[in-house]
Amino acid sequence: MTLKTIKAYARAVAITFEITLRQNFSDAFIIFAVIVQPMIIAILALWMLRDIGGDIGIFVIVGSGLTGLWSGLLFISGNSITGERWVGTLEGLVASPTPMAVIVFGKNLANVFQSLASMIASYIAVALLFDLRITIEQPWLFAASLLVTVVAFICFGLIMAGLFVINPAFAQFQNGLEFPIYILAGFLFPIAMLPGWTTPISYVLAPYWAAVALHGSATGSVPPAEIGFAWLMMLVFSLVYVLASGRIFRIVLRKARVDATLSMQ
Amino acid sequence: MNAIQVDHLRRVFTTNVGRFRRESKEVVAVDDVSFAVGDGELFGLLGPNGAGKTTTVKMLTTLLIPTSGSARVGGFDVEHESQKISSTIGFIFGGERGLYWRLSGIDNLRYFASLYHVEPAVAAKRIPYLLDLVGLKDRGNEKVEGYSRGMKQRLHIARALIHDPQILFLDEPTIGLDPVGARELRLVIRNLQAEKKTILLTTHYMFEADMLCQRIAVIDKGNIVALDTPEELKKLVLDLSVIEVEVFGVQDDLLEKIRKQKFVDNVSVENRDQRQILTVQTPRGSEAIPDLMAIFDGRRVGKVTSREPTLEDAYVRLVGGDA
Amino acid sequence: MLNTARINLRLFWDGAVLSYIALFRWLRPSTYIASKVFGPLVYMLFFVLLGRYATGSSDASFFVIGNAIQMCAWSGIYGITMSITGDHWDGTLPYVFGAPANRLIVFLGRAFIHVIDGYLGVVLGFFWGITLLGLDLSQTSLPALALVVLITTISTSGLGMLLGCLSLMTRNVMFVNNTVFFGLLLFAGANVDVATFPGWMQSISYALPLTRGIQAGRAIVAGADLSQVSGLLSTEFLFGLIYIALGYVLFRWFEKQAKRRGTLEAV
Repeated sequence: MTLKTIKAYARAVAITFEITLRQNFSDAFIIFAVIVQPMIIAILALWMLRDIGGDIGIFVIVGSGLTGLWSGLLFISGNSITGERWVGTLEGLVASPTPMAVIVFGKNLANVFQSLASMIASYIAVALLFDLRITIEQPWLFAASLLVTVVAFICFGLIMAGLFVINPAFAQFQNGLEFPIYILAGFLFPIAMLPGWTTPISYVLAPYWAAVALHGSATGSVPPAEIGFAWLMMLVFSLVYVLASGRIFRIVLRKARVDATLSMQ
Repeated sequence: MNAIQVDHLRRVFTTNVGRFRRESKEVVAVDDVSFAVGDGELFGLLGPNGAGKTTTVKMLTTLLIPTSGSARVGGFDVEHESQKISSTIGFIFGGERGLYWRLSGIDNLRYFASLYHVEPAVAAKRIPYLLDLVGLKDRGNEKVEGYSRGMKQRLHIARALIHDPQILFLDEPTIGLDPVGARELRLVIRNLQAEKKTILLTTHYMFEADMLCQRIAVIDKGNIVALDTPEELKKLVLDLSVIEVEVFGVQDDLLEKIRKQKFVDNVSVENRDQRQILTVQTPRGSEAIPDLMAIFDGRRVGKVTSREPTLEDAYVRLVGGDA
Repeated sequence: MLNTARINLRLFWDGAVLSYIALFRWLRPSTYIASKVFGPLVYMLFFVLLGRYATGSSDASFFVIGNAIQMCAWSGIYGITMSITGDHWDGTLPYVFGAPANRLIVFLGRAFIHVIDGYLGVVLGFFWGITLLGLDLSQTSLPALALVVLITTISTSGLGMLLGCLSLMTRNVMFVNNTVFFGLLLFAGANVDVATFPGWMQSISYALPLTRGIQAGRAIVAGADLSQVSGLLSTEFLFGLIYIALGYVLFRWFEKQAKRRGTLEAV
C-alpha cells in the first residue's frame, strides 16, 4: 500500500464519517436508540437499584450508556451495508476503488461516536431526577477506557455488517441480539448473577470488557491492572475482528456479485 | 486494444418461488453475447425490456459475475480484476435511486469524489464544472429529495463523471424523463462523445440509438440478433415498405389473421390515446392496401398511409413485433 | 340483515388475518416462531435479573409477573400500530376508505388478532416464569388470572389503536411506538412499585392502561380472589374502552381530513 493510497483511504473515512453523521442527525430511529431508550433504561434501573447505595449513580449512567452504545451498534452499524442496499447506493459504493471495509469503517466511526450521546443522555436523566453524588473516580482511566471501547465497538461493527449481509437469517435475529448482550456483558448487573456456564461467553464479548473497564474506572472498584487487562482484551478482539472482516467482506461481495443481490431489483 | 471486449457472455438467474416449499427456477437473462467496442466509440445496445441489456451492463461494470464467458473492460477482466476496472469506468442505471436524498447534490458529488480518490483540489474544480455540464449549477446546494426525476438522473451523470473515467456505461439514461429532459440529456451525451470517451449506451428507443450511436447491437432474449452501423441496419428493410393503419380497438385474432397473410412480413401495434397504429411491413408497398382492407371487413378504420422504412422498422423486424 | 352480518364478518376476518400475515411475511416461518417463543424470555431475563440484583433476593415473582403481563404491550403497541399504518404504506388506505365497509368492523378487525397474539405472549411469559424463574402459582386462581390477562391485553391494545391512528399522521411511527413501549415499561410498574413514584409520575402511571392490570395480576398470583381486584379490573377495562373510543374517533377524523385535503396517500 502506497502513501498515496493510505491518504486516499483516510480521506474516504473522513468524508464517510461526515456524511453519515449528517444523515443520521435527522433519523428519528437513531435518536430513539441512542437517546430516548438509554434515558428510560437509566431512570428505570436507578429506580430499581437506588437502595443499593454506593456509586450507584455513575454505575447506572455508564451501564445505560453502554446499552445505547450496543443498541446503536446493532441496529445502525449492523445495517451499514444492508441499509445502502435499501437506498440503492450499494452498487455505487462497491464499484468505487475504495474497499468496502474502509467505507464501513468510516460509517461505524460516525455511528459509535454519536452513540456516545447515550452516556450523556443517561447522565442528564439521572442528574435531573435523582439527587445523587455523581463523580468519576479515575477520569483519565475512564477517558482512555472510552477510547478503547470506541475502537472495539467499531471493529465489532465491521463483523456484524458483514454477517448481516451474508445471511438474512442473522438479520432476522437482530432484534433478538439486543437484550442478550445487555445481560451477558454485565452492563447493569454483574455477570456473577448468571449461571456459571455463560461466563466463557461473556469473556469472548468485547462489550463485556468494555463494561469492566468503564465501570471499573468510573466507580474505582477495579484496580488499574485489571482495567489494563480489559483494554488488552478489547484490542486483541479488535485486531481479530479487523482481520476477519477483511475476509468476510471479500466473501460477502463476491457472493453478492454471484447472487445478484447488490441491488433490490 | 478494444475498450470493451465481450466474449460469449452468459448469465443465468436462480430465483426462489413459493413460501413453504422453496423451489428454484432458472431464468436465462443473457444467453450468449459477444461484441467489441473501440476506443472513443459510442456503442448502442438496443433491445426491448427484458432483453438482457441491464444484465450485460451489470456484468461489464463488475457488479455481477458472469455465469460463463468472459469480458474485458479497459483491458481488465471483469470477474477477477474488478478493483482495477473501478477507477477507469463510470456508470449510471436509469432511475432515481442510488443517491443520498437527504444530502445536497454537491455533497453527493463530494462523497463520490473522495471514494474515487479524486484529489480535493481537483474535485473542488470538477464539481462546479460537472454541475454546469448537467444543468444543475443553481441547484447544487439543495437536497436531492427535492429534485425532479430528470434532475436526479442528470446528477447521476455528474456522479459517474466525477473521476473523469475513460469508459462510460449509460443504462437507459433517458427512461422516465419528459421529452425536454430527455433531449437535454442526449445533448450531454453528445458532448461526452466529443470528449472522446468510450460510451456504451443501452436504450429501447430506436431514434435515440439512431441519433447518437456509431454502431448498434440489437439484443433480444439474451442474444445479439444484429450488429452494425445505423445505416447498414436500415438496409435490412430496404426491400420492404410500411403501411400504417389507424384503428380503434384491435382484437388479437384480427392481428393473427393479418400476420398470416402471405404479403405481410411483420405487424406491430402501438397505442396512441384512444386509437392504435397498426404498422404492417410488406414487400408489396401500397399495392397491398386493398388486400389489407379486405381483412378488416368493414371494421372502422382511420387514416391509412404508406411510407419508406426507417431504422425503427428494421428493429421491429429483428425483434419481431414485440418492441 | 343476515347478509350484512356475513359481510361484516368477512371484513373483520380479512382485516384481522390478512393484515397480520402482511406484517410478518418477511420472516421465515422458523424465525417467526423462534422470535415469538424466545423474544419474551430474553426481555424477562434482563429485567428479572436486574430485579434480583436490586433486591438481593432470589424471589423474583414481583418482576416475573410484571414483565409477563407487560408482554401484551408487544403485540398491543407494535403489532396494532403497524397493522393500522401498514395500509398507509402499501397505498391501500384509499380502498379501505373508498369501500362501503363498516369502519368500526375494519378498525376492530385489525386489532383483534393482536389481542390474541398478545394474550399468548403473556401466557408464554408466565410459562417461562414457572419453568425457569421459579414463579409459584399454587395459591393462584387460574381462571381469575386468565381474566386479568384478557382485560389487560384488551386495554393495552386500546392504547395501541389510539397510537396507530396517531401514527397515520406522522412519518415516525417507530419512534412513537418505541417511546410508548419503553414509557410503559417504566410507568406501568412492571419492575417498580408505582406507589414509590413521586406524585407527577404516579398520575402518568394511572392514566395508562396496564398499570392496574399488573397490580391485579400480582394480587391474584398471591392468592387474592376476583372480588378483591374487581375495582382495579373494571377501571382497567374502562380505560381500555376510552382509548379504543378515542382511537376510533381519531380514525374517522383522519378519514374526513384526508378526504377533504386529498392526502390519503401522502402524509
